[in-house]
Amino acid sequence: MNQQTISRIIRLGYTNFWRNRWLTLGATLLMALTLTMISVSLLMSFVIRDTAQTIRSKIDLTIYFRDDTVTDQKITDLETRINEITGVVSSHFVNKQEALAIFDRLPINEDIKAPLSNDNNPLPRSIQISTSNPDNIQTVIASVERADSEAIICSDCVSYAKNKATVDQLLSITRSVQIAGIILSVLFGLIAVFNVMNIIRITIISRSDEIEIMRYVGASNAFVRGPFVVEGVLYGVLGTVFTTLLLLIISFLATRFFHGAGALSGSAITILGVNLFTYVLNHLLTLILAQLVLGLVLGIFVSLFSLRRYLRA
Amino acid sequence: MDDVLQIGSRSNRSQPVDTGTPQPLIQFKDITKAYPGRIAVKDIDLTINEGEFVSIVGQSGVGKTTLIKLLIKLEPPSKGEIYVAGRNLADLRDNEVPFYRRKIGVVFQDFKLLPQKTVWENVAFALEVCGYSQTDIIKRTDKVLDLVNLSRRRDSYPNELSGGEHQRAAIARALVHSPKILIADEPTGNLDPVNTWEIVDLLYRINQKGTTIILATHNRQVVDRIQRRVILMKSGKIVSDQRGGKYVI
Repeated sequence: MNQQTISRIIRLGYTNFWRNRWLTLGATLLMALTLTMISVSLLMSFVIRDTAQTIRSKIDLTIYFRDDTVTDQKITDLETRINEITGVVSSHFVNKQEALAIFDRLPINEDIKAPLSNDNNPLPRSIQISTSNPDNIQTVIASVERADSEAIICSDCVSYAKNKATVDQLLSITRSVQIAGIILSVLFGLIAVFNVMNIIRITIISRSDEIEIMRYVGASNAFVRGPFVVEGVLYGVLGTVFTTLLLLIISFLATRFFHGAGALSGSAITILGVNLFTYVLNHLLTLILAQLVLGLVLGIFVSLFSLRRYLRA
Repeated sequence: MDDVLQIGSRSNRSQPVDTGTPQPLIQFKDITKAYPGRIAVKDIDLTINEGEFVSIVGQSGVGKTTLIKLLIKLEPPSKGEIYVAGRNLADLRDNEVPFYRRKIGVVFQDFKLLPQKTVWENVAFALEVCGYSQTDIIKRTDKVLDLVNLSRRRDSYPNELSGGEHQRAAIARALVHSPKILIADEPTGNLDPVNTWEIVDLLYRINQKGTTIILATHNRQVVDRIQRRVILMKSGKIVSDQRGGKYVI
């Protein structure tokens, strides 16, 4: 197939696309809808995955030391032992000055902060431990308790156990939401895919006369398919453009709205430290690529599949 | 692509019709075509020589269109073999069929012009899909529109044409890649008598230039006027085959 033929095919495809603009607009919008469904579900699974990860990484263990009678040396020994436990990623010793500095940074009333100073510092020293997996925390606690339980304020260890239950619950909820999200998006995605298939088939049926004429005058099958493939590509590309714009607008408005209302702060909208709009922007390339691949596969495959019965010799 | 079929050559195209030793161009050998629940044509044996003007006549539904569909390989026969220029159509591979069809021009009762294209574009389209160069397309299209006397209407759209002009545009499209065979399936079916004569006259002139013509019609006057070979069909069978014949039922 030479260059001239290819340019004719592209021109034909483009002309057909433009001539049936209402039908193709429908096909393109449906394609955009399909891609939106898939993008939103993709985005949702990103957000949930990242949220779960953030939550898990935020579960760490802090061991507080009962009073100033415990020597720094003893604490350092303990820290070394803790670091040898499997699953411990890092540990950090917080002395009294640092504890006070952290306290000073807390977003609480200055009147509460005011009485505390370096001379009057009741804040305990502590070791902050991060583990690769929250499940390892239990092992750490067990081994620390065995080693030197006298030095530890155990009430905090108990409160960790309570936290763990809450966190586990949260994680199991995110998992359920994720599964529900996948099922829903697969369902909506399927509906949208069937719609795209139908509308592309309608565009082909509406041009069955043209296909017939092309065959009578001796067009090769490749030449008949060509313009429809071009159209399929246009559906995919325009669908992607529409969807990307739609996602950007929706996430921008959602971010603005939630910020304006002051509600839901700390929810999934901002839980990752960035707002939804920024989040979408950060994942834009992945989203566009996923949409493009899906849109092109869907557009081209459905076109070729629907053409088959017209091209049988 | 040209060796898919070697039908005639330039030299014998200009040979006078019906003289010398005619070459069999189309051969139907014991052809039967059955559709579910009905037999369209049965036991057809037919030889058409190069340069002939053959009218296939008979009432609607006797199998004229089926023969044409078989000949342009739109459908395979249920039984028997069709040879065109010595080549068995059953042996044509799927990707050869389009090139085979380029050797045959087909004209239909309902014209089958593309409504969104002008006359010129409709004719040129047949060349575009076959990969002709733009200069070739312009040259051939202009020439064939001149032949069918439609140069004046080249920029009109099909819905602006009269019935006769419609059919002449369709004939121009069928002729534009200089086919060896022109098949016309009820080309005058939708036309008034004046336009009918115009079309018949045009077909006659095309035949004079050496193109083999197969005309399917149920119009008695058309056949009687042409006075060439007439094949009469009845219920899917050939019942008579006369040279210089008339339409006799």
